[in-house]
Amino acid sequence: MLVQRSDVGEFRQRYRWLVLVTVLAFGILIGRLAQLQLIEGDVHRAQARKNIVRERSLATTRGVIRDANGRVLAANRPSYSVHITPSVIDLETTWPRVLKVVRLEDFERAAIEKKIAEIKALPKDDKRRSQQILLKVDVDRDVVAFLETHEKELDGVEVTPAPVRYYPYGELGAHVIGYMQEVDAEALERLDGRGYRAGDHIGAIGIERRWESYLRGQRGWRKIVRGVSRRESNAEIDAKYLEEPRRLEPIPGRDISLTLDIDLVSSIDKAMRGQLAGAVVVVDVRTGRLLAALSKPSFDPNVVSGGNGVKAVREAFRRLNSDPLKPTLDKTISAAYPPGSTYKPFTALAALADRLTDPDREVDCHGGFEYGKRFFRCTGVHRKVNLHSAIVQSCNTYFYELGSRLSIDRLASIGLDFGFGVKTGIGVNPEARGRMPTRSWYTRRYKEAFRGGFTLLSAIGQGATTVSVLQLALSYAAIANGGTLYQPQVVRSIETSDGTVVQDFPPRVRRMVELDQDHLSMVQSALAGVVNERDGTAYKERIPGVDMSGKTGTAQVSHVTPRGVDPDRVWYFNRDHAWFAGYAPSKSPEIAIVVIIEHGGGGGKNAAPVAMRVVRDWEKMKEKRVSAQTPPHPPGKRGSL
Amino acid sequence: MLGERISFRRGPMVDMPLLLGVVAILTLGLVNLYSATSVYIDDESRARLADIYVTQIYWIVVGALLAILVAAIDYRHYERLAPVLYAGGMVSLGLVFILGRDIRGSSRWIQLGSFAFQPSEFMKLFLILMIAKFVHNDSRTEPRTLFDLAPAALWILLPVAAVMAQPDLGTSLIYLLTAISMLAMMRVRVLSVLSLVTTGAISLPLAWMYVMRDYQKHRITSFLNPEADKTGTGWHALQSQTAIGNGQLTGEGFMQGTQNQFGFLPEQYSDFPFAVFSEDWGFVGTVFLIALYAFICIWAIHVASQAKDRFGAALAVGVGAMVFWHAIFNIGMAMGVLPVVGITLPLFSYGGSSVLTMLMGLGLLMNVSMRR
Repeated sequence: MLVQRSDVGEFRQRYRWLVLVTVLAFGILIGRLAQLQLIEGDVHRAQARKNIVRERSLATTRGVIRDANGRVLAANRPSYSVHITPSVIDLETTWPRVLKVVRLEDFERAAIEKKIAEIKALPKDDKRRSQQILLKVDVDRDVVAFLETHEKELDGVEVTPAPVRYYPYGELGAHVIGYMQEVDAEALERLDGRGYRAGDHIGAIGIERRWESYLRGQRGWRKIVRGVSRRESNAEIDAKYLEEPRRLEPIPGRDISLTLDIDLVSSIDKAMRGQLAGAVVVVDVRTGRLLAALSKPSFDPNVVSGGNGVKAVREAFRRLNSDPLKPTLDKTISAAYPPGSTYKPFTALAALADRLTDPDREVDCHGGFEYGKRFFRCTGVHRKVNLHSAIVQSCNTYFYELGSRLSIDRLASIGLDFGFGVKTGIGVNPEARGRMPTRSWYTRRYKEAFRGGFTLLSAIGQGATTVSVLQLALSYAAIANGGTLYQPQVVRSIETSDGTVVQDFPPRVRRMVELDQDHLSMVQSALAGVVNERDGTAYKERIPGVDMSGKTGTAQVSHVTPRGVDPDRVWYFNRDHAWFAGYAPSKSPEIAIVVIIEHGGGGGKNAAPVAMRVVRDWEKMKEKRVSAQTPPHPPGKRGSL
Repeated sequence: MLGERISFRRGPMVDMPLLLGVVAILTLGLVNLYSATSVYIDDESRARLADIYVTQIYWIVVGALLAILVAAIDYRHYERLAPVLYAGGMVSLGLVFILGRDIRGSSRWIQLGSFAFQPSEFMKLFLILMIAKFVHNDSRTEPRTLFDLAPAALWILLPVAAVMAQPDLGTSLIYLLTAISMLAMMRVRVLSVLSLVTTGAISLPLAWMYVMRDYQKHRITSFLNPEADKTGTGWHALQSQTAIGNGQLTGEGFMQGTQNQFGFLPEQYSDFPFAVFSEDWGFVGTVFLIALYAFICIWAIHVASQAKDRFGAALAVGVGAMVFWHAIFNIGMAMGVLPVVGITLPLFSYGGSSVLTMLMGLGLLMNVSMRR
């Protein structure tokens, strides 16, 4: 026994060391454990919480746009999209059932089935396996109902609601109201820090764009525990892991009330039926507020905003951008046209103000005016005309003669007084300035010396003179109201979603045009004559009982139209623009209206009837509104029918 | 006096402290495995993990029976059997290359019917027996030279090389460290130790360049700088530390550790059960667990000091060293102080071969303890 013991004697001194090493090693581990759990514990707990907590954003609702009478022009509606998870979906059972309700084109179906097969073929641990693919956007309610009632049996099929912008009036006023588009990478970068994310929609044009920051509202968020969010009730888990605050409510966007009257826009649309392209603007003479604007052809903002899916948007834009009639251009604000004869009242006012003519002085029109070596043609042979009859009959000869007395800079300066050649400040859509050519402009533009003929052309609103439809409407409003040029307005007020007015916009005067009231009433009576006198250019088109004044215009587009050719058979884009600018009622004007029909031919024949019809409808609407405010029968009598 | 008392003992007595210690760890391990495998995340992994702890119970039962068997036969018989067992182990290590099942780039498994087992695990015990036999037979008292240790070096390097070739860095480390711990019991010349250390210092960079696989190097570099590799191996280590830290003083509670429950711990039942335990039970519970491992190791040294021959003493030290190095490496890697090398936590990690090896090893320890 003892011998055996001595054998192990060699090890004896080692045991103490082994114990020491063991204790030391485990001691170090405990030290590290203390460091992790006791000293750095809070840091690690914070990280662990961060790992499992996610912030889900809560969608906000975009503000509603209404017209002057509270009609909804732009709102939101839920749209339901169907997504499938290819790795989960059963191709034998589920897929055919889905196909029965969600109708797909053959090629779409083939493409999606190919994609499903690709994803199903991925290895089990590939992250891409969990991806979803879009089956169809904006499916019908009954499809949604079917998919939701059979949710349990249809594994891997999901219906997700997403708000879509909805424009109940479709094309009406689309250019002013605007539409929505998905933010692109460039916009995301530009708007960095304002909370936009890929896939968000942003106002593209019109009110939607200009008032984007008011309309959009603010996203909220709520914290969720990762991975368990779809499981049972998680109140307990949430209470345990989620720190306060757990939720930030979204702030809905502001509502915007416009000055537009959509009924008036609708009647303009009716009056413009049969016309290919053109624009109409109606402003309130006493405030400068935009009552109606229509640019034709238009587009459906519901489609381009993505209501029918991304493919439909792309297709719509391809069509819109290739259309020679430029449907996306807002012809009321963003385009400038030669005003033609509608500019004559301003030439007359300039001549009268400078005492260059006596209103009763007569000029003999024998079909044109000789100036230098050139002959400037008139529309006909008017014989003896004075200021009044020259406007009524739209005699060019008279105005050529005035032009020969005026300087081109004087014509430009009266134009600037009435707001031409500068932006109106409406604040929606890019504005066309138009052009009031001056002597220096011509010398800069053309190398050769300035010629007096340019002034003659400017005097009848031709040559290099261009105006926008909105500018013309505001200037006629100024003629109608005695010389007050207003800043145009589209937005009446801004409200919170519960209807409280946050901001209200009173009318703003841009300038008072310095005018002799006698001169103004001479022009006003001539404008009344255009419609109401037998030889007025719009007389034939007047509607009995509709009281209005105005001026027709036929603006030449190109000088290559061969003479003697039937004007109706000229190639469309060489035809003249047809104008009518006026106001109603003649005595105490309330609205100013400008109509342009692109390449419409003669203004009296083509543009004037549109204006007359719109004014007639406007009068009817006014009457109806007045009678609605004072009901003919006391409300108590309704029960005793 | 001491010798007298021992000689009067009546037959073998069960070593109660050792038994209680082992049972305690096994119990905690099972409880922990239950927590580790019932996770919130998704139904798929929940289903996959559900039967893991049940399987572990089967392995523990089988392992306990084997341990009793191992303990019942006087350990001195193993001295004679050691070369046979060692040779058998080496043959099965060789078979791995022929029949081996490839799992994540390394072949460590042999399929036997419906069971897959890891020969390299059992080889740990055979190596301990072989080295113990070497120590037993070399009973001179003067300090040894390197030449004297050459046979032992051969017994060590054979399986180390075989396992490195699989490749399995962790297991070869365990072989090396366990065997060296056993040899450290013997007196060796100072000069020899110095030259051994020098050789090691030179061969490490060589091993880095020529022997180690890319993924092994990657584990070590990402251990040295886990921030640089937050998605791969370094990510595992960081998440494990977060889990442990999240336990704080008293823990999140049984089955409440979020790092585990929400799937942030990879291999939570095999490589990182310690992190699961620390997160659930906190500093208090974890210190208790570490103390249990420390107790087993120290108790093994105690058993060795009481052993009546060199073979028994070396055997006890070997089993203790095996448990020690496993525990240190696994806990160390979970806490981010050692690289992630895939070494199991004894009696805690899920795995049949591992459980059987550990229980049989502890059976050997019990064997020595009962016959001192």
